[in-house]
Parts: sequence; C-alpha cells; structure tokens
Amino acid sequence: MNSINFNLLFDPLSLFFLFVILIVSLPSAVYSCGYLKGEYSSAKIALAWLLLAAFILAMVLVVSVSNVFVFLVAWEIMSLVSYFLVIFDSKHERSVQAGMIYIVMTHIGTAFLLAAFLIMYKYAHSFDFFAIKNACQIMPHQTKNIVFFFLLIGFGTKAGIVPLHIWLPYAHPQAPSHISSIMSGVMIKTAIYGIIRFVIFILGVNSSWWGVVVVVVALISCLVGVIYALMEHDIKRLLAYHSVENIGIILLGVGLAMLFTSLGLPYLAVFSLIAGLYHLINHAIFKGLLFLCAGSVYKATGTRDMEKLGGLIKKMPQTAFCFLLGAMAISALPPLNGFVSEWLTLQAFFLGAFKVSGGLKLFLGISAGLLALTGGLAAACFVKAFGIIFLAEPRSHHATDAKEVSISMKAGMFFLSGLAVIFGLAAVPIMKLLAKVAGAAEGIDTGLMSFSLNNFVLSPQAAKGVYLSPPGIALTLVIFGLMSFAAYRAFNRERPVTYKTWGCGYYKLGPRNEYTATAFSKPFRIAFSFFLLPYRKTQKIRESFYHVKSFSYETHTTPVFRKFVYYPLLALVLKSAKFMRRMQPGSIHLYLAYIFLTVLMLIMFMGKF
Amino acid sequence: MSRILVIAFQVVLFILISPLLSGLITKIKNNLRMRKGQSVFQPYYNLAKLFSKGEVVSETASWIFKATPFVVFASMLAAALLIPMFIFAAPGRSMGDFLSLVFIFSLGRFFLALAALDAGSSFGGMGSSREMFISSLAEPALCLVIFSVSLQFGSTDISAFSAPHAISAACVFSAVALLFVVIAETSRVPVDNQETHLELTMIHEAMVLEYSGRSLALIELSSYIKQMIWFFILAQIIFPISLPVFTGLGEATAWIFWYLSRIAIVVFIVALIEISVAKMRLFRVADFLGFAFVLGVIAVVCANLGV
Amino acid sequence: MQAIILFGILVLTYLMIMAKRSTALIRGFRYQSFFLFLATFLAALGDKQPDLYIISGLLFVIKVSLIPYLLCRIIKKINVNEDLGLFINVQLSLLCALGLTFLAWVFSARLVAPGSLIQVNILAVALFVVLAGLFLMVSRMTALAQITGLLVMENGLFLLASTVSGGMPFFVEIAIFFDVFVSVVIMGFFVYRINKFFTHIDVNKLSRLKG
Repeated sequence: MNSINFNLLFDPLSLFFLFVILIVSLPSAVYSCGYLKGEYSSAKIALAWLLLAAFILAMVLVVSVSNVFVFLVAWEIMSLVSYFLVIFDSKHERSVQAGMIYIVMTHIGTAFLLAAFLIMYKYAHSFDFFAIKNACQIMPHQTKNIVFFFLLIGFGTKAGIVPLHIWLPYAHPQAPSHISSIMSGVMIKTAIYGIIRFVIFILGVNSSWWGVVVVVVALISCLVGVIYALMEHDIKRLLAYHSVENIGIILLGVGLAMLFTSLGLPYLAVFSLIAGLYHLINHAIFKGLLFLCAGSVYKATGTRDMEKLGGLIKKMPQTAFCFLLGAMAISALPPLNGFVSEWLTLQAFFLGAFKVSGGLKLFLGISAGLLALTGGLAAACFVKAFGIIFLAEPRSHHATDAKEVSISMKAGMFFLSGLAVIFGLAAVPIMKLLAKVAGAAEGIDTGLMSFSLNNFVLSPQAAKGVYLSPPGIALTLVIFGLMSFAAYRAFNRERPVTYKTWGCGYYKLGPRNEYTATAFSKPFRIAFSFFLLPYRKTQKIRESFYHVKSFSYETHTTPVFRKFVYYPLLALVLKSAKFMRRMQPGSIHLYLAYIFLTVLMLIMFMGKF
Repeated sequence: MSRILVIAFQVVLFILISPLLSGLITKIKNNLRMRKGQSVFQPYYNLAKLFSKGEVVSETASWIFKATPFVVFASMLAAALLIPMFIFAAPGRSMGDFLSLVFIFSLGRFFLALAALDAGSSFGGMGSSREMFISSLAEPALCLVIFSVSLQFGSTDISAFSAPHAISAACVFSAVALLFVVIAETSRVPVDNQETHLELTMIHEAMVLEYSGRSLALIELSSYIKQMIWFFILAQIIFPISLPVFTGLGEATAWIFWYLSRIAIVVFIVALIEISVAKMRLFRVADFLGFAFVLGVIAVVCANLGV
Repeated sequence: MQAIILFGILVLTYLMIMAKRSTALIRGFRYQSFFLFLATFLAALGDKQPDLYIISGLLFVIKVSLIPYLLCRIIKKINVNEDLGLFINVQLSLLCALGLTFLAWVFSARLVAPGSLIQVNILAVALFVVLAGLFLMVSRMTALAQITGLLVMENGLFLLASTVSGGMPFFVEIAIFFDVFVSVVIMGFFVYRINKFFTHIDVNKLSRLKG
C-alpha cells in the first residue's frame, strides 16, 4: 500500500505514445467543432467537450504512469469515458446496445489485467514498474506463462484481436466520428502500449513460443478483419474491421520482436519493433483521417450506407481528396506512410528468415505471404470504398443533396493527410527516432545499429544491398508523371469530348446500372465462402405465372464469431444461471439456513482452515 | 550525370521494346494456329494510331479518370528503373527492391481500378472488382516467390539474383510459381484474354473500356512495360546471365545472342500456354493462384534445405 | 454464582427453542436478558468501573424492559395468530439444540488453551446462544421469530465479548445497544406493514416474490 505513488515515467516509449495521442486527438478535436455544431444542443456539446478532454487525459495518464495501480485506474477511467462517448448519440437504440457490448467486453479484459497485475504484485510486493521488472526476473516459468496469457487476453480485448474483437464493429460506428477516430486511432494503441510495456519491457521475453503465439493471433486478426471489412457496406463498420486488421499487422511486428528477443537476435528484434511502432503511428494517422472523412460524408449526406452514395467527389472534392490519401495510405501504396511500414514489416520477416532455423523459416515465409494477402485485400476493399462512395453517379437523394463540410472539419482532415505524406517521405529520420524508442522498450542499446544509408535511403544493416527511398520513389513518380503529361499534350492538340458513358446500346442508363458495393465484393464472398458462410434470401411476387411483379434479393454473411463463439458462450452462461436459480427460490429461511450451515461447517472443520 | 543518362537510356529502351514483346507473342500464337496474322510491329502501329486520335471522356468521370493514365505510366516507368538491364546495374537500385516493385505495381492498379469505377458503367465495376480479386490472390504467391528467392540469394534486391547462379530445385519451383503469377498479372490466357471484349470474360480490358485516344495509348504502353518487366525478372531467375565482360567479338555476340534468346524463350513459353489452355472461370483462378502459392511453399522448403 | 447464571441462560435458551407461541418466546428472551444483566452487574460489582454499571443498566432498560414490551405491543396491534409456525417440530428442535450445544462445547474446548474450566464453559454457552439464535431464524416461519432470533444472537455475542475479551470498548457497546433498539423498532414497523399488505406475517409465503 505504500507503493501507490503517482510517478510519471517519460522514457522514449511513453513519449512516443504521447506523441501518437496528440497528433490524432488535436485534429479530431478541431474537427469536432464543425461536426457537433447543429447536431446537438449546446449543453450536450459542452458535455461532449468535457468527455473528450477527460478521455484524452485518461489516455495520457495510461501511457505515462509508472505505477501499476494508477495504470489500472487510468485504464478504467479511459474505458468508462469512452463508453459514455460511444452512447453519446443516445437517441439511437443501436448506440446503447453498442455501448453495452463494449463495456462488457472491456471489463472482461480488465478482469484479466487485474489478475495478471495481482500475480505480479505477489512477487514484487510493490506496484512500481521497475520493482515489478526486477521481480519478474525471478518469477518461475509457469507463472510467467500465465501472466503473459492474461496480459495478452486483457490487452487484446481492448486492442481488438480476434476473437475478442466483436465490440469494435459495434462501438466504433456508433460513436461520433471524431471519437471513432480517436478510439480507433489511439485508444486501441494504448493496448499495444500495454503489451509492449508489460510483456517486453517488464516481463521480459525468453520463451520463443510467446512470439509465435502473438504472430499467429495477429495473422488471424489480419485475415478475419480484412475479409469482414470487404463484406461491409457501412463505411464506419468497414473502417472498424480494418482497425482489427491493422492491429494485426502492428502485432506482427511486436510478435516478431518478441520472437527475435527470445532467440537472442537484438538487431532483428529492434528492427521488427520499429516496423510495428511505425505501423502503429501510421495507422493512427490514416485511420484517424479515414474516420474523419467518413464523418464528413455522414454529416453531409445523413447516411453511412455506401450503397446509397456515389458521385461525392464532385460535391465534396476536398473530403474526397483526403479520403483518397487515406485509402492510398492504408493500401500501402508508395510513397505514403502505409507503404513504408508494411515494407518494414515484410522486411522484418525476410531478414529474420536468414537467422532462424528450419521450421521457423517456413513459418515466417507463410506469414509473410499471408501479410501480403491482407495487403492486397485491403487495397481491394478501399478501391471499393472510395469508388462506390465518391465516384460515378449518386445512387440516391442522400448523395445528390450533399455539400462540402465546414472549414474546421476540413482543417482536421488536411492536417492528417499532410502527416500521412510527411511520414511516408521522411521515413529515415523517423526510423532513427523509432530506433531509440524500440531500443528503450527492449532494453537494447541501439547506438551502433544503423538503419539507413543517408537521410533519404533506408537500408537495413542486416541485409546489405537492400534499399528503400520513399523520397526517391516520390520524385521518380512525379517526374515521370509530368513527363508523360507533357508528352500527352505535345502529341495532339485536340481537347477531349465529353459524352455519355458507353452503355452497350442502352439509351436509358442511370445510377441503377452502376456497380454496387455488394456486387464488387461478390468474388471475395465466393472465394472465402468457407469462412463467411453466405446465404441468400429471395422472394418473388408474381402477378401471374408468366409475369413476376417484383423480386427481392438479400444476401447475408453469417457472423461466424457471434454465432459459433459468443452465442454458445452466452447460452451456456444463461443455462447455468437458470440452473442456479433453483438455489435461490426466494425463501428467506433457505438463505438463513445457508448462512447457518456455513457457520456450522466453519466451526466443525475449523482445524482444517 | 552519367546516372541520368543511364536512367534515360533504360526508360527509352523499355518504352521502345515492350510493344515488340507483345507483338512477338501474338505472332507466335498466330503461327502456331497456322495463320499468318498481324506483323510483329502491329502494337506500334496501334499506339501511333491511338496517339493521333481524339478522346471521348464520360460525363460522369472526375479528375481521377483523367489523371490515371499518367499515374499508371509513371509507376510502370518507376518500376522499370528497378530492373537491371543488360549492361548496367539497375539505376533505381537505391530506390527500392523486389518488394517495392510489387507495391509500385499495386499503385498503378489501384488507380486503374478507381478510374474504371469512375465511369459509372457496370463494365468498369466488373473489371475492377475482378482485377482486385485476382491481384489480391496473386500477392501471397508472389510474396512466397520473393521469399524463396531472397533465401537463396541473400536479399530481396533484384540485383541480387542478377549474377549467374546454379539452377537449383528451389529456382525451378519459384520460376514456375512466378510464371503463374506473371500470367495473372499480365492478363494472359488462363486468367484473362486480351483479345476479347465480351463483358463476361474481360478483366483488364473491362477496366480500360472507357479510355480512348492518347490516354488509352498510355495505358496500353504501361501494360506492355509491365509485361516486359515481369518477363525480364522471370528470365533472370530461370536463365541467369551476368553482366558482360567483353574479351572478344565472338564473346560479345554470344552474350547478346544468349541475352535475347532467353527472353524469347520466356515469350515462347507464355505464347504456348496461351494457345493451349482455355481461359478459366473467374473463381477457378483462385485455385490456380492457390496452386502457385503451394509451389511457392515448396520453393521455400527447397531453399531451406539448400536443394 | 457465575455457574448458576450460565446454567440459567442455557436453560432459557432451550425454553425459547421449545416455545410454540410468540408470547412464550418473548418471555424467554426477557428472562435470558435478565440473567445477562445479572452477569454484567456482578462483573460490574467486582470491577467497580462506572462503564459496566452503565452498560448493565442499559441492558436492563433496553433488553429486559423496552424491547419485550415493544414486541408484545406489535403482537397485540397486528392481532395475529399466536402460533410461531414451526418448520421443525419441538422434539426435533430440541435434539438439534443438543447437537449444537455439543458442537459449541467441542469447539470451545479446542479453542481455549489449557486453563480454567470456567472460560471454556462461558465460551461454549455464548457460542451456543449465537447458534441457537441462528437456528431460531431458520426454523421458525414468522417474522417475529426472525427478529427474536437476531436479538438472541446479539445476546450471545454480548456474552461472548464481555467474558472472553473483557468487554468491548465502551462506546462500541453503547452504539450496539442503540443499533439493536433502532433495528427492533424498524423491524416492528416492517412486520406491521407486511401484515397490512399480505394479511399475514408468514415469511415463508414471501417466496412467491422470487424472480
């Protein structure tokens, strides 16, 4: 009890996460000025600001305290305040339901965290990080495994790894958009902070199966997240599932770092952790940006359903541009930031394969292949998202009445888009900074490690001759683009003629003939049908045998985790609760008799206790 | 300064020679079908015709539609810089490696798919949906090929396997897997037919259906350059050749002959596959690429064993 | 002297367990409290501390006079059947009480270090009174019996505290007295309300309210 103090710890890892929190919270806060105006009464807007401030403060506390007890308190405050923010739009019943699922799942995670912290306290007799770190050196092996497992589940619930992710697609869409961007961009990263801090820094990794478990879990999260994202046509649910996928990619870097630490490869461990941390900050930036853009679209059109939108690029050009940058960043297109971090993660796999043996090499190879698959699927998903929302013709009156959003919202979006470009081009200085962060987290001195040739070319030292230069790529692309444009103009002076789209002979083409989001994702639905288990419902209304008046077609994908994991669990809990109801028939005498019997038992068997 | 000359030379060479490869494939196919067919230089005539024609742009299109040809073309040229040509090391060596090549290609593909959706017709939507489907399924196989190549040659740099190397089992398996991926990426017959314009069978052609005139010429040229890049890489893995050391005219001629003929062998193999197999159903392409993935895994295992 | 008092408390507890009517129960409680008062008074005489005098006085006032009077008033007011409602009939209850006594003696014997016999006896009787109070609450149906059972438990605890540990701090005792008094008042009120609403005070029938 004497060790609950309020010390703040400002080592490079905390400073990095503080930076991440700030660069996403600031534009989101600016954005919320425009977003909340006109939607709620001013009292509720004041409440929104208060909750936002409390939320950011709680997150700042979480990443900067050095005392486990205060950490847990700040963690709980963060969860509670975000719960209030999720159900902020309380007149929609779905918000309240989403909040309920969120608060239950987050408390399950906190319960596991509490268990892990209590076990650690038992060995350290103190709540201070450094005391626990010293005590963990002498913890027995089995206990360490249990603590790792509990920490993984506890932080994994908040991070959204599969199968603990189901709150994400409920909570993130229902929250107001600036809150979604902070939650998705920053709050789930605090869980990664927890994993890095508690598992790598405090617990100390020295069994290689930990890293393997984290990598496997991360891969599953990647694939499940992106496949479900492909099927969604609610913009924010799509983005929420992408958060699950990207947390998987971040955890790949972290898991690899754990694997390499346990195998005694310090350079590779630092490199993988750099890749993970870089993807973390990149994801914060572009996911925050994407959620803000989705919020702009929602505010301008009133709907989140992609199938009702279209043609918004002409009505909301700046939002479209920011969304395009965000989509390019998340699909890992050069020279933006997503490309650099995904390249780094892949390189971590490739470089690691040289230093590990036999089966692990194959495992790393297949994991790299699956990571490439998720990258490809993510790009497909964002082609769909951007294409259906912004391009072609509007599909309903929601989209035809859209207008560009206010300047505060645009400011937030442009700031984050600028950051996405900067973090891609300035990869090398950022990597040098991240090397210090990763070194501090691992406890390895990175002074002698070099990750770059000069300020523009990345070059992992372990593989001589491999280079990456995002500014170089950007420069090349720009120069060749301009050259081709010049050649284009030089060749022929005619202006293009504008005419209707080629309709194969039909004269009355309209928005109904455009491609839909469901149709776009159909190949994926069929290719992954073993996992998605799609089913369809059709209904024909006939006027006579020959004339069908109308035909309705619904296609659904089975929510696999809900149906096969959570509903059975819930059913089990309810069944056992019903069974235990028989123990409580309402008779006071029975309850008193329980107490009496307990007292008798205690008396009779006192010697045993 | 000399670097810039090398870059310019390589770019010009790619732009000039890539249509020839496509024409060569068509000529070989026609010859095997007992026809005379088009001349080998027909793609050049097509491009010239397209550059001189006017353009029709759909009224639903936005700036993305207009900007895409330049983005695609620029990305193909940037990728072309990463390939070591016959005399020089890759001028873009410090810019990226094999992995960045894949990502640069995906940049072009992303914008092309967006432009296809921009026109607002179902053709474009179908084309982009199928293209993204096939490319995302080709990615894991490609990644495994890169993985096995890097295991054998020490790094993911393209120049790494530019030196002559012994043709091991791992090389053969990676080359076959890469062949499948190349067929998918360059829209060749088992995956996509470049000669068809039926909406049920088009993938790449459906995406560029709305383009005309100079933009179409740029996009066609970009797809030729992409094909040439892939053929070069494929040839290098399976038929390695080193940078030349000229000690005599005979050596030089032999070197040039071997250099040209290995590309020709690759072209011939692709043409042979094109006329002997029918185009697959779209959802069988998933199995096709899955098989490429399995071959890639075998390649990794062989590389692991050192075979 | 102390042995007589202990014996008296024991016998009265048995009488309470045997009681079939409410008035008998309350009477037994009153006499038990009287014996408790005697014990405390004798201890006060021996110790010559003003605290114990005050406590014994309070004991007499509250537990011997006020509370039984309150309980009788409730009985008269709600005009209910005098029957206590036994779950376990008298003979079986007596057997159970014997068992509890034996248990209490064995327990105290194990607890107490080899010392004077009187300590073991007192501890045993006190513990038995507590258990008997619990037993009353469990085995009688009406709410009145529950209240009385609670009061008997409190008696037993008081005996335990005052003899084994030399009494509790003064203010704690005062507070406990006050608490007991107030809780009886409240419980009486509730019994009245229960009767008014349900027209009976059979607590067993409340089980229809279960969720």
